[in-house]
Formats: sequence, structure tokens, C-alpha cells
Amino acid sequence: MAKIINEKNDVQYKSTITRRESLKWLGILSATALLPSLVGCEGSVSTTNIANVVGDSIKGHWPDLTLSPITVKGYGKDPSMIIPPKSPWPKTLTVEQLTLVAVLADILVPRDGDVPSATEVNVPDVVDEWVSAPYERQQSDRLSILSILVWLNDEAKLRFSRTFTVLSPAEQLKIIDDIAYQKDDLAEEYTRIVLEFSRFRKLVLAAFFCSPEGTKDLGYLGNVPIAGDYPGPTDEAMVHLNQILNELDLV
Amino acid sequence: MKDFDYEVVVVGSGAGGAMAAYTLAKAGHKVLMLEAGRDYDPKTETPMFKTNGQAPLMGAGNIDKDFGFYDATVDGGWQVPNEPYTTGDTSDFMWWRARMLGGRTNHWGRYSLRFSEHDFKGKTRDGLGADWPFEYEELAPWYDKTETLVGICGTNTGLDDMPDSAEGVLQPPPKARIPELLVSAAAKKLGIATAPMHRAVLTRPKDDRQACFYATPCGHGCSIGAAFQTTTSLLPMAKATGNLKIITDAMVRSVDVDEKGQANALTYVDKKTGKDIKLAAKVIILAASACESARLLLNSKNTHHPNGLANSSGQVGRNLMDSTGTGVGAHIPALEGRPIYNEDGHTANHLFIPWWGHKQHAKGELDFPRGYHFEIGSGFRAPGSGVSGNLQGYGKELKDQAKQYYGAGVYLALRGEMLPNEHCYMEIDDKVTDKWGIPVAKFHWKWADHELKQVEHGLKTARKILETMGATFTRPLPSADKAILKGGQIIHEVGSTRMGESPKDSVTNQHGQTWDCKNVFVMDAGVFASNPHKNCTLTIMTLAMRNATWLAKQLNKGAL
Repeated sequence: MAKIINEKNDVQYKSTITRRESLKWLGILSATALLPSLVGCEGSVSTTNIANVVGDSIKGHWPDLTLSPITVKGYGKDPSMIIPPKSPWPKTLTVEQLTLVAVLADILVPRDGDVPSATEVNVPDVVDEWVSAPYERQQSDRLSILSILVWLNDEAKLRFSRTFTVLSPAEQLKIIDDIAYQKDDLAEEYTRIVLEFSRFRKLVLAAFFCSPEGTKDLGYLGNVPIAGDYPGPTDEAMVHLNQILNELDLV
Repeated sequence: MKDFDYEVVVVGSGAGGAMAAYTLAKAGHKVLMLEAGRDYDPKTETPMFKTNGQAPLMGAGNIDKDFGFYDATVDGGWQVPNEPYTTGDTSDFMWWRARMLGGRTNHWGRYSLRFSEHDFKGKTRDGLGADWPFEYEELAPWYDKTETLVGICGTNTGLDDMPDSAEGVLQPPPKARIPELLVSAAAKKLGIATAPMHRAVLTRPKDDRQACFYATPCGHGCSIGAAFQTTTSLLPMAKATGNLKIITDAMVRSVDVDEKGQANALTYVDKKTGKDIKLAAKVIILAASACESARLLLNSKNTHHPNGLANSSGQVGRNLMDSTGTGVGAHIPALEGRPIYNEDGHTANHLFIPWWGHKQHAKGELDFPRGYHFEIGSGFRAPGSGVSGNLQGYGKELKDQAKQYYGAGVYLALRGEMLPNEHCYMEIDDKVTDKWGIPVAKFHWKWADHELKQVEHGLKTARKILETMGATFTRPLPSADKAILKGGQIIHEVGSTRMGESPKDSVTNQHGQTWDCKNVFVMDAGVFASNPHKNCTLTIMTLAMRNATWLAKQLNKGAL
């Protein structure tokens, strides 16, 4: 099970990985540890303009990322559907990015009693696969999500002089509370990030619900063979229907 | 094929080609089938019970797999690699192709509604489009035979847009689900009936195909044969007679003629070697899909047929029609947090809204000439790459909202009849060829007011039904020209080699026999004289069965 390791200010997402892969990870870690920028992938440049920051008041900063397009091939028009490709394209998120995604994913979907958190069911890996895909929609989401990550670190630095992942949970939520709700009186500086964050939120939720544990948590009961006729709605479901038909004056 | 003395060559293995081949093979005639795509076996290739979580990108669609990772379509979709098509400057048109044995029957919606008496004689009624060269009564017994062979679930409703099948033909439909029952109640209040959708899905076993077990979407294909596709039914059944042989990866380049202009051969590209192979042919049935068959005829030019084979009327490629398509979806507060149960069913809508306006049309109360129906999208669906609802916040609060919204959305998809018009046609693009050097199809498209007014009516009606279910709309409906989907997008393209009473304005007679070449037939949707809103596949198969039966008699008589 994947998890976020949090030791002495060193927060890091660890995927469900084999020993062989973990050796690879160690290599990547030592390579990326020195990179100063969060956006460490090729050609990505953060040119966030935070010049108009005065004291604590922040006016609409948004990172202007230039990402070089992902040009690897997709899985093509005739992939095996019986054994879907496990790694259809190289994943591109850096350890720092992945860790931030993991922290956010677990804020969005934390552990809930017996139900695992987003990270525990490898949601960050799904996000990584998603933003690394060579298709139009995913590349558009990639710009959006990488921008969110930069924005959050910029915001964290402005408010607390540290990157987002090493903030205390309370500090993290102070920022998240400002960007997680679409409301009429939203301050101008949050309009963009609220919109982009909303897309990211749905991606994380989708990835969570697509995991076996998430599917169970959602309550989906299908994808099982039924012998004989389709049973149709349960008695309980019919009682509920009759109640709403009454309420809607449709009887 | 030296050891196989075939009488008929069929181009295409989808609905029309497979039914034609099956019918002829059963009647004792040897058939050679050419399929442009690869061999395909649903028994071993269908991703049964696979979850979206097991697929790349949670199964989401993209340019490689337009309808999602698990869509059965192989080597096709809106684009086929190295086999382009083009459009006129002001035209939007989308052309779905599959390059696989069984063609598009491997992934189709299995909606199987009969055309009704209104549908065959539209021109007689309102002066628009073209009449078919026969009445509903002529086709009714063939519908019975086709439905029996294919296996269709549904009921006889007695509704004027849904002609009854003969006693005992239809298999029982599955029970309706909660959101469908709510739609039904709301529509009823507005004076609109709902009915069980007719689908080519077995609810009782048939030959060696099993009954549906109500799981895994039909669009993925069906390894147990419950959801009809030619690869689990007509093709193996025809092969079992010993009278059908199939060559896959055979892309037909042209129909060839002798010195008198009589069709006597086909040339196809063997895709595996890239070599052209010429095949003698006594009788040729084109069933490559409406636009591929028309493209093939137009590309089969020679001194005897300078405008393309069977095109003395100039109608090949003309009269191209698709279904109109749009839809309105809404969140239904009354369905929030409802009791969960398994709503997979046969994985498409169990109830739908048939066209209810024939009487209004007769009274002149509608400002558009042809009807439509609504398909209902709803249910506790398998999780995928999308999560619906206007979700806010994070943590438990967020998950609770998502659960509250789960299964509370309802979508009404409109599928309507369009009329042929002079702006909607296909021709050959003389500047572009595909990988095999075959000139490609070029499409021209423009919706007419008939379709836009129909869509406008449909949008309003859908909204009214959803509002009656308690939905609220904060934004106005889109205008019809914005809401209508693109030409071709519903994948019901028909009419490009239409049948008729006269060689002057049609390409084939009522048997799909081309007027110009007695031994060349068309048995796909190209022959449709009109495009009723009811999904074309059942009628493609019914016509192919009827017309191949007629052809078998001609062969027996030595008439060809």
C-alpha cells in the first residue's frame, strides 16, 4: 500500500513498489533532491509573478508554466484489453510533485475509519499516469495540475515561508480552505485556483472511486454475473421511489 | 481460394455482410467474404468484468480509443491510421469506422427498433425526402425472421411508432430501474409514453449463445454472445455450413469489369503483404458500410462507367443522412442518496421514450417534419474517470457529497430523423489517397431547418420532463445549432446508394440490386431511402436477409 512518509520535515510519497523499482526510486531521489524547483521536468519553467505581493495581501499570482509537450506514443488503436498495459507511458512527476499530489489527495480523501485514504490506494500514481499521458485532455490537465502545485508552494512560501508539504496540517488547511469552495464572494485572487483545484479534486475522487476499496466505499454493486432474470429495484428502492413520486405529484 | 468454388463475394462482415453471407450460405450458396480489418474473436478478446481502475486513464476515451479503453472497436474510431477522410471547407462530418471482423456490430448499442408504416412512405405523407420502394407490410415478416434469429428483447407496446412483432418473437425485457420509472412517471404526466427499449440482447439462451448475465457493458463486446455481434453468431453459424470462407485484412480497391462493362472481379489489397490481388466474382455484394460501399463504387471508374460503377443516376454518395443527436442532462434532487442496488441491467436503457408525435404531425401541429426518440441515461454506474456533481470542499464532507450525487443524474439523449438535402453528400477527394493509394471519401454537410427545429423541440421537451422530475435549470437551453451534434457523430450514416423505384433517382432496386450492374448488390445502410430515428442496424439486417433470400432464388433460377 502506498503512503506518505513523514519524518523530520522530510515528507515523501512512497508508491506500492517492488524492490527493483524501489532501487530505481532511490536513484531518482538522489538525482532530484538537488533540484531547487518543484517543476523539475524538462523544459518546465516557473515564472510566477509575485511582485505585487505587499505584506500579507496576495493579488492573484498564477504560475506561467511553459511545458514541453509529451511526445511519447499512446497505447494505440489495438491494445490488449485482456491484459491492459501496466505502464503505457513513462510517468513524469518528480518526487516532490508526487509528494505534493499525495498530500493533497489525502486532504481531499483522508482515511475514513476502515476506508483507506486516496494515497493508500495509489491515487497519486493514477494522477501521475494521467498527467504523463500523451493525449490532449491529459496534457491540458497536466498544465492545470502542475500549475496548481506551483501555486500552492508559492502561496505556502508567501504565507509561511516554507513549501506546502512541510507545513503543519493546520497551515495546509488554511490555504486549502481558501481554494476548495466556489462561492459568490470569492476573492479575486482565488478565482483561478478555485476553478483549477476543482478539476484536480474530481480527478482525485475518480481515481479513488476506481480503486476496489473506493468502489466499495461508493457503494457500486454491479459487475457481478446474475443467474436468471435481472432482479430490478429492491423493495427498499421501490418504497423510496413511491415516496418521491408522491412528493413530486407524479402518482 | 482455388479449392473453394464461391458464387458470391461479400465485401464487409458487419450487420449487412454477415446477414447476407449467412442467408446465402444457409441456402446452399458458397460465399467468399472480404473484410478490411483483422480477424477478431470476442470469446478470447472481450474484456469481461474488467474495471476502469484496471485500464490506463481509468478507461477514459482519447484519440486511440474514442469511446474508452475497453470499447470493442479495433483499429478504428473517428480516425483510422493512414486511412484519412476529408471534409468540404464549411463542413463538419465525423466518420466512425472499425477495421475488424464483425465491423461495428462488435460495439454497437444493440438498439433494435423496427421502422414503422410512417417511416417507409414519408414523402407520400409530407412531400419531403424519398419513399421506400415498399410498405412496412412487406418488411414485417422479415423483421420477425430477423428478430428471431438475432434475438431481441422487448415487448409489443401497441404504440403507433412501434409496430408489434409476431407472437413469441421477442424475448422478455429486463425490469426497469428507478430513474427510468421516474422518467416514465414524469413523461406520462406530460402525455408521453415510455416503453421497454428493444435490444439485440438475449434474455433467454439461443443456439450456442448464452442469456445476458447483466454485467459488463455491451460496448466492450460480449464473450458469451448475449449481446449480438456477427462474430459470435452469424459468421460462425454461416461458417459451420461449410459455405462461407472469410479473408481478413483484405481492403477492396475496386470492382472491376470486363470488356462489355459487366462487373466480373474485385481487386483488393492484401494488407499483410501490401500486394493487390484480383479475384474473379460472379456476384458481388457490397456491405462495407454506407460510405465505404459508395466510395468503392465511385472509385470503380472505367470507360463503361466513367462516373463510377452503378452511378448512371449520379446518386452514389448523395442523400447522405445521419440521425440528429443532442441531449439534456440534469441532477435530480429527489434521486439523491437513494437506496443503492445493482443497476447494471443489460447496461443500456431498459426504458426509452418512443416518438409520440404522429398524431400531432397529422394535424399539422409541429413545425418540423420528422420524429425523434429519447434514450434514457441513468443509474448507479461503475466508477470511471469522471465524477458528477458540483462538488465542494474536501475530506469526509467531499466524499459524502459525491455519494449523495451518485446515481442522481439523468440524461435524455435525442436521436431524430433527418431528411436528405443537397448539401449532405460524399464524393471522392481527388487529391488525397490512403495508405493503399485508394482515393479517400470527402464529406459535405449542412443541417437544414427541419433538423434544427426538431432539435429545438426535443431540447424543450427534455427539459420539461426533467423539470417535472424536480430538476432546476439555471442556464437557458443552448440554441439548436449549438446543441446538435455533428453529421456522422451518431454513427447512423445511411442513404449513399439509396434504393428506389427508378434508375433515374436511385442506385438500387428494392432488392439492393444496382440498376446498372445486375450482379452487383448493396446490402448495407447505403440503400436506405430515408433515415428514421430508430437506429439502423436491425433494418440493415432485415433488408440483407430479405434481399439475400431473393438473390439466392435468382441464383437458383440462373437469372444472374
